[in-house]
Amino acid sequence: MDILTWLLVPIVNLDLLALIAVGTFAGIYVGAIPGLSVTMAVSILISFTFSWDVYPALALMIGIYMGGVYGGSRTAILLNIPGAPSAIATALDGYPMAQKGLAGEAIGIVTVVSFIGGFIGIFALAAFAPTISDFAIRFQPRDYMMLGMLGILLVGSLSGGSLVKGIFAGAFGIAIGAVGMDPLTFTERFTFDIPAMRQGVSFIAVMIGMFGISEGLMQLHTIKATAVKQKIGRIIPSWASVRRHLPLGAQTSAIGTVIGALPGTGGDIAALMAYDHARRVTKNPEVPFGKGAIQGLVAPETANNAAVGGAFIPMLTLGIPGDAVTAIMIGALFIHGLNPGPLLMTSQPDMFWFIVSALGIANCFMLIFGLTGIRFFVKVVEMPRTVLLPVILLLSIVGAYAVNNSLSDVYWMLGFGVFGYFLRLYGYPLAPVILGVIMSRLLDDNWRRAIISDREELDRLFMGILSSPLSLALFTAVVLIFVSKTPLWGLIFRKKG
Amino acid sequence: MKTKLIGAAIALAMGAMPALADYPTKEIQGIIQWGAGGSTDTVARAVTPHAEKALGGTIVMQNLTGGVGAIALNKVAEDAADGYTILFGAENPLLYKVMKLGDKDYSDFTPVNILARGTPILVARPDAPYNTFPEMIAYINANPKAVKFGSTGPGGLPSVVTAMINSKTPVDVTYVPYDGDGPALTALQGGAIDVMPAVLGAAIEAIKGGKMKPIALFDVNPSAALPDVPTITSTNPEFADYLPWGPFFGVFVKKGTPDDVVAKLVAAYAEATKHPDFVALIEGRGFTMMSLSGAEADAFLAGWQSTTSWLVHDAGLAKASPADFGIPKP
Repeated sequence: MDILTWLLVPIVNLDLLALIAVGTFAGIYVGAIPGLSVTMAVSILISFTFSWDVYPALALMIGIYMGGVYGGSRTAILLNIPGAPSAIATALDGYPMAQKGLAGEAIGIVTVVSFIGGFIGIFALAAFAPTISDFAIRFQPRDYMMLGMLGILLVGSLSGGSLVKGIFAGAFGIAIGAVGMDPLTFTERFTFDIPAMRQGVSFIAVMIGMFGISEGLMQLHTIKATAVKQKIGRIIPSWASVRRHLPLGAQTSAIGTVIGALPGTGGDIAALMAYDHARRVTKNPEVPFGKGAIQGLVAPETANNAAVGGAFIPMLTLGIPGDAVTAIMIGALFIHGLNPGPLLMTSQPDMFWFIVSALGIANCFMLIFGLTGIRFFVKVVEMPRTVLLPVILLLSIVGAYAVNNSLSDVYWMLGFGVFGYFLRLYGYPLAPVILGVIMSRLLDDNWRRAIISDREELDRLFMGILSSPLSLALFTAVVLIFVSKTPLWGLIFRKKG
Repeated sequence: MKTKLIGAAIALAMGAMPALADYPTKEIQGIIQWGAGGSTDTVARAVTPHAEKALGGTIVMQNLTGGVGAIALNKVAEDAADGYTILFGAENPLLYKVMKLGDKDYSDFTPVNILARGTPILVARPDAPYNTFPEMIAYINANPKAVKFGSTGPGGLPSVVTAMINSKTPVDVTYVPYDGDGPALTALQGGAIDVMPAVLGAAIEAIKGGKMKPIALFDVNPSAALPDVPTITSTNPEFADYLPWGPFFGVFVKKGTPDDVVAKLVAAYAEATKHPDFVALIEGRGFTMMSLSGAEADAFLAGWQSTTSWLVHDAGLAKASPADFGIPKP
């Protein structure tokens, strides 16, 4: 059995095993610090591992990737600052749990479901890679556009109290996402002839400001309040509670795998869509969503870790990156003398199975490292505010600077922090702003591509949607979700009921 | 592994030691104009470790993207001309002036090494109803606007190749814009677009795997990597006016850098481009090794700028005339 031999390579070679462990451990902390991204870490590693063999180099990168995607949840739960865009949804229910003294339990469940989601993604990669990549590559601009529309409709799930305020926040996010040089026409939009604005606003800087700085400012209101005492009870969730969430976790993992495998979308969109899915299918959560629902943690965290395996699917079958990290890994493979493309799987099957195996091991290390040290980490929430707030401020500034080594990102971050503070003060939800920024390009670029492809004729576009089963399914989903979310729909049903 | 750690420690120690040789006495900052994982990035990161050995110094690589590469170019142009900030750039800056993307280009820099150039190739989705360039033109003429060409914005390789095609055999097609050749080639494999002018290196593996179909190589000589693909001049000799043409990658320092520093960098990179691993990478990806410096590099840059600026200007893509900047007609 050749496959078994290839799968065993990273297990029997202790140095590879150690590199995966080191990578995963480092990844968790890189992922936890907002602004330090996995993408950045992996691109630095390309130079660092240049003279190594390809296996050790990949082992370290895969560890960082797996650990980093999970690590983003840490600060989201403890401080309400997502370490990465894929952890935005995690903060919505994770932070309220920490505020109730349940941070340990939240991290515990997140770790276990991330592990489960990770494995479902890896399994999909190992078993169905060619099928999924054939499906993923068929997505046309109009399909991405409708995916973007589905994304925008998540505003309904992320708004909390007021839908109107949520729509305002989402629209604001879309406008922020449009700033800069338009990549399709090279026309400047909302730049006011300021050269620094041509690159647009870094949405990581927006995210750090909106969540980090505004959280810090909000806490100034209650600076004298004593911190919530954390219950140090059960950290590792019981099998019964894990099993109860398995059906949801399996569904959201499937969402994560497919969204991860699509070349135009990644873990951030996967996690948000999974969160929305959880809200729709969970009829009676014990705790309402947004107040600390376990389902609100299970969905995004299974999805973003499943998206890791998903992102490798087009990379290993076609040489097409599934996200920014796999794009860099393709570059790394070239440098190491490999030629990632449709022939890689037949000419070098060992590479495919090595990556599958390394991902699996990284996933196990993630579980081990994730579950140890939780007791220490939850103390962060118990820190006095006078210590915690300066730390949040420092982390935010360092993080925003690290994105592009640019001071203007720090100013953006601070500006959006203050703006986010006022949004919070007047009850505007922040997650839709980030959602808008993320979805802006997906929606805008693909709408224009779709309509240009159909010679700028709307009727041709609709005929195209109706004639493709995939587009038709997406279109139906958009219409149904939209209708089910209009207040009118609710009014009609309440009157009748 | 251990030797690597020792090597790293020695390198660090050397960086910290006071000046023994004149240059380099400290870390050199390498600014890459394009994002991680792209071809400029791959080539820059593949050649630099060999150059570091020849130079006996450390070059810390960093991607600085945005503004079609202008952000990185301006950053290096603003730093001191001491050889401690070097630019890894592609062909784009030579069009900044006519595209109004910036007022600086490689005339503000001294080329250390023009590493390699790419060859454009026209590829189509595998089930497209044409196999050769004349067949494609016949199909386009019979079905105006039906064929979808991928594009990546004015000044990029696809726009230049499209301008060449339009100047010789005007075509009535639909241009679908993508933000980069990677996403466009993905769309081609999924059938969202029909034809894409791309750089050979980006398409080579997919062609070998049967995921896209080569229509014509935009060069006068066939490529060693894909010897069966016909050159455009074998069916349409009129294209020889523009060819060979292609995107390129180079290493640059700010003009005014001391001559001995430039000489050391030139020697180091010339040595590095001879390394078998780098040669293999360049050939494997379908690039043509150039390794030009000094007057040869200057002549290459001037010729490239003249051909391309006037081509995009005559195609109506330029925002300013090359004549305004004293760029001579080819």
